[in-house]
Amino acid sequence: MFEPVFLAQQVLNGLSFGALLFLLASGLTLVFGLMKIVNMAHGAFYLLGGYIGVVIAGLTGNLLLAVITAVIVVAATAFIVEVVLLRFVRGQELPEVLLTIGVSFVIADLCLAVFGGDPQNLPTTATIPGALMIGDLVYPWYRIFVIGVAVAIGLGLAFVQTRTRIGAVVRAGVDDREIISAMGVNIAWVFTGMFVVGAGLAALGGTIGSGMQSILPGVQNEVLLYALVVIIIGGLGSVTGAAVGSVLIGLIDAFAKAWIPELAYFTIFLPMALVLVLRPTGLFGRTA
Amino acid sequence: MNRRMLVNLALLGLLLVVLLALPYFGVSNFVLGLASTILIAAVLASSVNFLGGDGGMVSLGHGAIAAASAYAVGWASRQGLDSMTQVLLALVVTLVVSFLYGLLSMRTSGIYFLMVTLALGMLIYGLAFRLSSVTGGENGISGIAAPGNLHEEWIYYYVVLGIFVITTGALWVVSSSPFGASLRGLRDSESRMRSLGYSVAQYKLSAFMISGTVAGIAGVLAVWHTNFVSPSSAGVERSVLLVVMVILGGIGTLLGPLIGAAVVVLVENVLSSYVDRWPTALGLIFILVILFARAGVAGSVPKVLAKLRGRSPSATPPGDRSSPEGTAVPDRNHNP
Amino acid sequence: MTSTMTTAPRRWIGLVGLAATAALVLTACAPPQAAEPEPDAGGGTEAAVSETLKVGYISPVTGNFAVAGQEMVDGWNLYWELNGNEVNGVTVETIVEDDAGNPEISLTKAAKLVEQDEVDVLVGPLLANTALAVAEYAESVGVPNLHPVAASDDLTQRNANGLTVRTGSMGGSQANYPGGEWAATEGGFDTAVTLCADYAFGWESCAGFVQGFQDNGGEVVEQLWFPNSTTDFSTYVSQIQAAGADMVYVATAGGAPGPNFLTSYLGLGLDMDKLLLNCCAADQGTLRAMGDQIVGLKSVSYWAEGRESEAVAELIEAYKEFSGGNVPGAYIAGGYITASLVASVLEEQGYLTGEELVSAITESTFEDNIFGRVSFDEYNNTVGPVYIREVVKRDDGNLYNTPIATYEDVDQWFGQDPEEALQQPNYSQDFQG
Repeated sequence: MFEPVFLAQQVLNGLSFGALLFLLASGLTLVFGLMKIVNMAHGAFYLLGGYIGVVIAGLTGNLLLAVITAVIVVAATAFIVEVVLLRFVRGQELPEVLLTIGVSFVIADLCLAVFGGDPQNLPTTATIPGALMIGDLVYPWYRIFVIGVAVAIGLGLAFVQTRTRIGAVVRAGVDDREIISAMGVNIAWVFTGMFVVGAGLAALGGTIGSGMQSILPGVQNEVLLYALVVIIIGGLGSVTGAAVGSVLIGLIDAFAKAWIPELAYFTIFLPMALVLVLRPTGLFGRTA
Repeated sequence: MNRRMLVNLALLGLLLVVLLALPYFGVSNFVLGLASTILIAAVLASSVNFLGGDGGMVSLGHGAIAAASAYAVGWASRQGLDSMTQVLLALVVTLVVSFLYGLLSMRTSGIYFLMVTLALGMLIYGLAFRLSSVTGGENGISGIAAPGNLHEEWIYYYVVLGIFVITTGALWVVSSSPFGASLRGLRDSESRMRSLGYSVAQYKLSAFMISGTVAGIAGVLAVWHTNFVSPSSAGVERSVLLVVMVILGGIGTLLGPLIGAAVVVLVENVLSSYVDRWPTALGLIFILVILFARAGVAGSVPKVLAKLRGRSPSATPPGDRSSPEGTAVPDRNHNP
Repeated sequence: MTSTMTTAPRRWIGLVGLAATAALVLTACAPPQAAEPEPDAGGGTEAAVSETLKVGYISPVTGNFAVAGQEMVDGWNLYWELNGNEVNGVTVETIVEDDAGNPEISLTKAAKLVEQDEVDVLVGPLLANTALAVAEYAESVGVPNLHPVAASDDLTQRNANGLTVRTGSMGGSQANYPGGEWAATEGGFDTAVTLCADYAFGWESCAGFVQGFQDNGGEVVEQLWFPNSTTDFSTYVSQIQAAGADMVYVATAGGAPGPNFLTSYLGLGLDMDKLLLNCCAADQGTLRAMGDQIVGLKSVSYWAEGRESEAVAELIEAYKEFSGGNVPGAYIAGGYITASLVASVLEEQGYLTGEELVSAITESTFEDNIFGRVSFDEYNNTVGPVYIREVVKRDDGNLYNTPIATYEDVDQWFGQDPEEALQQPNYSQDFQG
């Protein structure tokens, strides 16, 4: 349990699971940061994205095409949800939550009707075959690829947030929504845009993730819980927090299940409860 | 005391009469059982409603509190203890669990409160699964008989109805008391209340204990009704549905929990016999209620009626203790 | 409700008190409906010209267990579509109710079926906790309850009753004991590491394998348990690799864990020939999700769709047509065989309900059905063959679990005396037999 190869493998296990968590959580935390919406349909967007990705990858064998299609379809769905439904309850927390729960119910049940309930994975032709080998350490390339995607997305988001005009608008909006209007930007469309981007990230996570773990009914709830835990630990609205929270949960999950299996059921929720008891707004949440 | 009050009282009385007369309509045991299920869900939902409406603390862990109480009854009944001891044990467990919930969550609010209660609920769920020597694991505990002749469906219905009326009344009394007013003050501005010298933590903890106790009562009612408890009672899906019931019915309203519980239980148990894609239907009902009756059913009906009568809805309609706009963004409560 | 109603509270307290008193007083006088005699739940006394056997079928056809639940229903319906739902003058009428995998809804639906629809027999539900709850209710109202899928040992052990029959599956430990026996003997493995779901079904399955393995000289070096909510199995696969045993036994309850485990296991480049899975980890859902990369994968189950048999071939052909080319898995088989047993006793003895229906089934031996030769023990549990299976790709492009070894007449007692076996605690992480 403490051999170097085992430890190295576990670190990679934790990081790759954390990478998937980050793909899930980043969209959710961005949307919350700007719009103060807890999007309970985030898991359903992941589910829908995963199914579409698997279908397209099965038809074409091309992962990139699968991701693009999934992102476009889910983004379009999110656009409709935002413009047709969410706009009518803007700024009212509970109605927003209920509305997105309703959307989640509908999407998940329709996915079951359309795609069936079998677990579905990316076909092997669309994933990256083979494994990295260094001495005794063997590790699948695909999981390393997922880590890479997460890092790229994280850096991309950080770049957009700090170096672009869109980022400036969003940052201003997080601090004070009135300012956006004062900048001559239509705030409603900024919100819509952010919601669509968040959903697109969920779809990306769904497609990429289905190479690591199956897509099937029920996954939307698990995924949503994970994402919520991660962004709560990190602090709502903080991309850095989401990154730290993802890695933390990924590593705790991997090692705790090996070293303290008695607590296997609690590896996700115990850390969150502890963090919140000690720091009620998460590690990177604003306290002031 | 104005005319609207009288009308509302009359309506409440009428509802009560209908509920009291239900067994005399010659309905089957199945329908009576369903009515009991709705009332039990309503008791549980009203505990969530109290905490969420007056305290601004929406909990995703109340299903697990009720389950803990139900497990206490189940465990005690498996040990052959009598029903009085079962209830006492359930009470003790409920108080301990509620106290821990309250203690661990009292520094948080808004979405963070939601998540702490969710996490605590998941811990109870995990324990129910893992501590199989006590809880029976996934199989749960079956054969938990209700005491005396409570297994008669119509008698049990009246017991449940009585307890529903009592708990709803008690919660109403609490929320109309100075304590309730302070709680609403806390909900609207924690910092203001703190500067006025209120002990915020103490108020939150007390509110949680009251709400948790009601949830525990619902747990006992449920386990005697189904004679069965398993981890799914503690699961997060159940707690989400409770919140959904509360919001559907109208958060902070007197009868909201009953209406919400009726809608959800009927969709789950009756509509599902006729409509294959009933989860979609449930989702659509949520969406429609939110779009067209934002304050929930019980919160919106008085407004609509007032509009129809052509009056300005200046006076707060009875039963609408909190406007939905009142529960705004969570970190508003975090101002130093 | 605050400012405008300051005078209200006292009135309200009065009202509430009044209502409570009224409720208590009213409980003293029974409503008319309760005074009537209970309707005969079995419905067997009605003298009808053309008789109808009313079946209430409870299964989770929506929600997270919808696949398994729908398959369980499809298998049942498929049998009656193939063979007609009129047997020996008795018409079999089925009412399907959805319980979404929730025990409370299961119980409500069971009450609805018994009291409103007055069914003669309840079939299902699927999950262990729902099945145990419904079995107890069914006994309390005197209605037979057949179980096509539920695998909880206790259904036919500690919670056994005269009206509950496991017709379409086996207990968790029962179905896996031969797996251990095979691994230690023909399989040629000396040491094993196990990875099982961390709840009753996983504990029972593992206990069966472990006892079979140890009774035949094998040594279990480590037992790992995964929470049912696990999606990423890489941490367990790393532990399996570190344990360094000759073979790996894996038990899941179906759904995503099977494919998720295999994805992690094969991704690390580990040897598939060392694996032995339980029924559900290698069911058709897993085979379809994983595809050709798992040809040759071994598993142990009471159901083998690749077995050469007329009855199996008939089911496969019918199901392929019904589903657009899929091969039936264990849940379909469970529903189908349950229907075939009911049809078989109706054929022989005509209209039957209540205990007569139960004993007609449990006292028969059914030769050559889709499981093979099936009979029942005195606790109403299936006694039948268990197969060691290997995934084979056939010309139709589908993957089939094909038997490579068969253990006939496997019961749930492993050679123990039932009375003694029932004195043992339930299987858990700490007690594996």
